Amino acid sequence: MRKAEIIVALFFVAIGIIAIVDAARVGFGWGPSGPESGFFPFYLGVGTLICSAFVLTKGFKEFKKEGSGKRLIPEGGLKPILWVLLPSTGMVILTEFVGLHIAAATFLAFYMRAVGKIRWVTIALVSILLPVSLFIVFDKLFLIPLPTGLWGSKLIPF
Amino acid sequence: MVENLHHLLEGISIAIQPGNFLVAMIGLVLGVIVGVLPGLGGANGVAILIPLTVTMKPVPGIILLSSIYWGALYGGSITSILFNIPGEPWSVATTFDGYPLAKKGKAGKALVMAFLSHGVGAVLGVILLSFFAPIIAEFALKFGPAEIFSVMMLTFSAFVGLGGKSPTKTLISIFFGFILAAVGMDIVTGQLRMTFGSVELMGGFNFIVAVIGLFGLGEIFLTVEEGLKMEGISAKVTFKDIVEGSKELVLHWKTLLMGALIGCWMGLKPGGATPASFMAYGFAKQAAKNKAEFGQGASAGIIAPEAAAHAAGTSATLPMITLGIPGSPTMAVIMGGLMIFGLLPGPMLFKEHADFVWGLIGSCWVGNFVGLFIVLAFTPLFAAVLKIRFAILMPSIVYVCAIGAYAVNNRMIDIHYMIIFGVLGYLFKKLDYPLAPMVLALVLGDMAEAAMRQALIIGHGSPLIFFKPPIALPIMIAAIIIFFMPTISPLFKKKRPSVGPA
Repeated sequence: MRKAEIIVALFFVAIGIIAIVDAARVGFGWGPSGPESGFFPFYLGVGTLICSAFVLTKGFKEFKKEGSGKRLIPEGGLKPILWVLLPSTGMVILTEFVGLHIAAATFLAFYMRAVGKIRWVTIALVSILLPVSLFIVFDKLFLIPLPTGLWGSKLIPF
Repeated sequence: MVENLHHLLEGISIAIQPGNFLVAMIGLVLGVIVGVLPGLGGANGVAILIPLTVTMKPVPGIILLSSIYWGALYGGSITSILFNIPGEPWSVATTFDGYPLAKKGKAGKALVMAFLSHGVGAVLGVILLSFFAPIIAEFALKFGPAEIFSVMMLTFSAFVGLGGKSPTKTLISIFFGFILAAVGMDIVTGQLRMTFGSVELMGGFNFIVAVIGLFGLGEIFLTVEEGLKMEGISAKVTFKDIVEGSKELVLHWKTLLMGALIGCWMGLKPGGATPASFMAYGFAKQAAKNKAEFGQGASAGIIAPEAAAHAAGTSATLPMITLGIPGSPTMAVIMGGLMIFGLLPGPMLFKEHADFVWGLIGSCWVGNFVGLFIVLAFTPLFAAVLKIRFAILMPSIVYVCAIGAYAVNNRMIDIHYMIIFGVLGYLFKKLDYPLAPMVLALVLGDMAEAAMRQALIIGHGSPLIFFKPPIALPIMIAAIIIFFMPTISPLFKKKRPSVGPA
């Protein structure tokens, strides 16, 4: 937990530095038309830096005194998270190629089988009916085109 | 007053037009489902459906969005009573007594009490909204940039001072939200900021995508980590339950009224619904004769937090439509919906789009009443949604989230952002960084910055402009006092015994 605390605080330190550096690039003083573009981000960056420095020092102190403490992710918790995170990321990557609906159908089927051990009949029903109905609602009824990817428009030619 | 009543009736008549009424029904049913499902809350449900409303006219569009919100408020109590899983943070207090009562075989009665308390809380909230919104809007017309900025300061200092989380972490959350909002083109000078030459970053970060990632995926990660156990109590709401529940409500009318009033008051402040429900529970427990009953299924322990949560949820609409400052992520998303219709929430909305505003207020009345009947009649069906295997629900929710994230701007990169925000949301929750202030900062970022810069230009660079009497000064002072609440309040606490939530 404390290690994660320190890492996240460092992330915010970095965000603060990015904001300040970028504000310095565009100028954070008083220009001919009032405050310059970097004015607001500059103070945001300074604020982030100060606050994250507080969290960071507190984290380090506790780390030195009491060790790393409780785990961020409890025993056995990481696996189910990765089982969601990785296939979801996979779905997003697949979307770039075959479009969202086909990618999602694959993702649905994969997760239901691999994690849920669900019967094939149910898998087939859900992973076909859900994308088809969402396709009809979004792409056809409300005319909101969802990503087709590189080849999606060829795979669903209607 | 008479004029407002006239407007209100007009608004209600807009809301019960067949088309709008149907939209409200659909929204309510969707809302209850969204409120019941893990990983989909009010904020998320509204966020995902915003793209659908773009093709609709503004009035039915906003009725759909707000009905989802009312539905989600109802849905939250179903899961907390039957499954002991609070669907929303403000339903946590309901689980204390709602679940024990349901376990005793009185699930129907518990649900009826929760729903009816919701109804009463909502009515009080809507009354507040109907009669005070025009007054506040009239007052807010006098606001200049300095005043707008000071109101925003008040909003954010409320998160720091009253949010109950670590002040430094809350501040980081706020700053981070503002920084994300600043990415992309500077609206005043047209300069690019923090884009580092990337075309994707030029478009900036959309808060709806952030909401879907933080609250949707982040919540799913938390749920799977804990290993979801769905041990629901099946329940049917019979006529006898309705009679019994109503009797309890009449019996505990003082608790009910107190809860609703706490809710109305707290709902005006940002992030009010959750503390309101806990406060109401605490007060109900203190006022009760039989304190041992609490935690075992006391009626007052259900009535008070439910009335407070729903009253707060309703009265939260008030600062959003009158000042353009949302108090909760859901309200922020609804406000985002308004902006998509080209309507800028704030005092001018009352002047320029009166029919729209009153249609919305009318739909609050209609939506809450109809919602009550829907949940009373169909609770078993909604509870059955949770009986679907998680392995089917989870990927479907991720799929729907991805659609919502993409459709906001039709950008593929937003789906990538959604996943990143999901991981961030998980880490934030684990490390106790509050999410709501970050979302609000992301929403209000451009407005806050523009207000601040304009005010400084008016004041020739002097920050004293933010302390200009008569309006900005008291608001700023209130903001500063609330900001330092965590440091001030211990000084007072020594003298008086605390009356906080139990």
